[in-house]
Amino acid sequence: MKILKANCQQEEDEMNLWRNMLEGNAACYEQLINKTYNLLFQYGCRFSSDREMLKDCIQDVFLEIWEKRKVLNQHIPPRAYLLASLRRRIHRVAQQSRFQTTENFEKSISDFNVECSAEHLFIQSEQDQQLAERITFLLNELPKRQQEAIFLRFFNDLERDQIADIMDIHPQSVSNLLQSAFRTIKIHWKIIVSLLYLPGFE
Amino acid sequence: MDQYNNFKLEDFIWDAYFRKWVLHPTRETEESWHLWLENNPDKTELVLRAAGIVKAVAPVSIPLDETEKKLAISGIVSKMDSSAEEILHQPVSYFSKIWLRSAAVIMLLAGLGWILWTRNQQRQVDYKQLVAHAEEQLVEKINHTRNPLLIRLPDGSTVKLSPGGRISFPAKSRLTREVYLSGEAFFDITRDSSRPFFVYANEVVTKVLGTSFSVRSYSGEKQVSVSVRTGKVAVFTRRDAEMTHKQRSKELTGVVIEPNQQIVVSRESVKMIKSLVSSPQIIADGTVNYNFEFDDVPASEVFAALRRAYGIDSRYDSEMMNDCPVTARLTDLPLYEKLDLVCKAINATYERTDASIIIKGNGCGQAANP
Repeated sequence: MKILKANCQQEEDEMNLWRNMLEGNAACYEQLINKTYNLLFQYGCRFSSDREMLKDCIQDVFLEIWEKRKVLNQHIPPRAYLLASLRRRIHRVAQQSRFQTTENFEKSISDFNVECSAEHLFIQSEQDQQLAERITFLLNELPKRQQEAIFLRFFNDLERDQIADIMDIHPQSVSNLLQSAFRTIKIHWKIIVSLLYLPGFE
Repeated sequence: MDQYNNFKLEDFIWDAYFRKWVLHPTRETEESWHLWLENNPDKTELVLRAAGIVKAVAPVSIPLDETEKKLAISGIVSKMDSSAEEILHQPVSYFSKIWLRSAAVIMLLAGLGWILWTRNQQRQVDYKQLVAHAEEQLVEKINHTRNPLLIRLPDGSTVKLSPGGRISFPAKSRLTREVYLSGEAFFDITRDSSRPFFVYANEVVTKVLGTSFSVRSYSGEKQVSVSVRTGKVAVFTRRDAEMTHKQRSKELTGVVIEPNQQIVVSRESVKMIKSLVSSPQIIADGTVNYNFEFDDVPASEVFAALRRAYGIDSRYDSEMMNDCPVTARLTDLPLYEKLDLVCKAINATYERTDASIIIKGNGCGQAANP
């Protein structure tokens, strides 16, 4: 199997890394792993609190794309593909471990909760801090599936169709999840603002 | 990018393209947002706030340190089917780019912050600048006539605008009530303690909950004055370091002035001087009809009645004044003439201090006491 001599432009975006990787560029492959590892790890933690098992799953996902690089489509967005593979793999492992032992795999300990950094460098006023805290609270009250869609859409900049692939649901269902989340947020936002911004300005 | 021109805080917070710029900036998002901000400098503060909130709320992050990550990655790389020769471990500084980006974002925000800061620190601000920086769409009324012009604001408050004055206010009354004034006007504000009413006049900010008061502020004049007819107002200046706090606090903080008091702010030194207005008015709330016909009433009661009617703090020795009977018809006289008459009758004098009246007398009690 031919491996191109490692040479990968530093400014490449993920799409280019993906394409170069599919052509056998190992340096770009490593760079792609480096770029997406944190996201995969954080996403995976939502489904399992077993770090070692999770790292194994991530490893398998990456090794698999390297093995299958000849047949993979170079136009699919890598992030979505990797996240979808990881999600499937974790669930597969989880199902297997159900029949074996459960000690290594505690089922979905973490979830898609968000947190609000207490004294954020960029928050200028107490009101905004409170707003951020209310948003945090609101998001954490949403149903899990909505939280997952929001996690992917608003914190990781994935498109609707990509989210549909990752969550393995119809794109319309993604829209529905996001819409109902926003309906809740909008209703509460009005209340929050009217409570918080008594004297303030918008 | 035109769709962003009317965006409010929450619209920015949940806009995918805005979040992309804040959370995962790329050259393309940097360029288009910078360009947009250059064309919409008045949105800078709003964008900064939204960016702050977007950055503050993040998914709970499970710690993964660099060593652990590097180890995992080299584990993957070592397991690649690598029959052929490979040169993988070229020293590539993956992180320099991330650092550069973070640095760029910090510089950008710091720069914007500095612009905002300097803008707040500007020496003198006038009506034109204030209106230009308003966030909402404003309606402007100018009194070209020779008579006061009565204007009704969206929240039901009324403004009597003196000739030559101009006033701008948001077309729709939403969360806030704010007007910008040049010239002189008398305000009668409907009470709404959840939405204080702000008058921005040059460097001076007047905050009220529901009162009537007047503001005089001409761009050409060296002073801005605020005087209160009823209720309480808080006055502070744009240069006040705690301005934002005072603006947002639910209480009236700053220099609070009460009925028949006024404050004169010198625009150059931003010094505030509080005093009584030159002709105090009775605080009429429509329910009480004040009676200033006194027949053999102790002077202390007369002073108390005046204090209630004009809302002006007056200090006197009530025991001494109890012994001084007063008979007087004071109804149609201005306050200071009333005081002159009463004081003359009981052989006392009064002094106006910054915001109160001090009455000094020796009492009339010697004869009455056994």
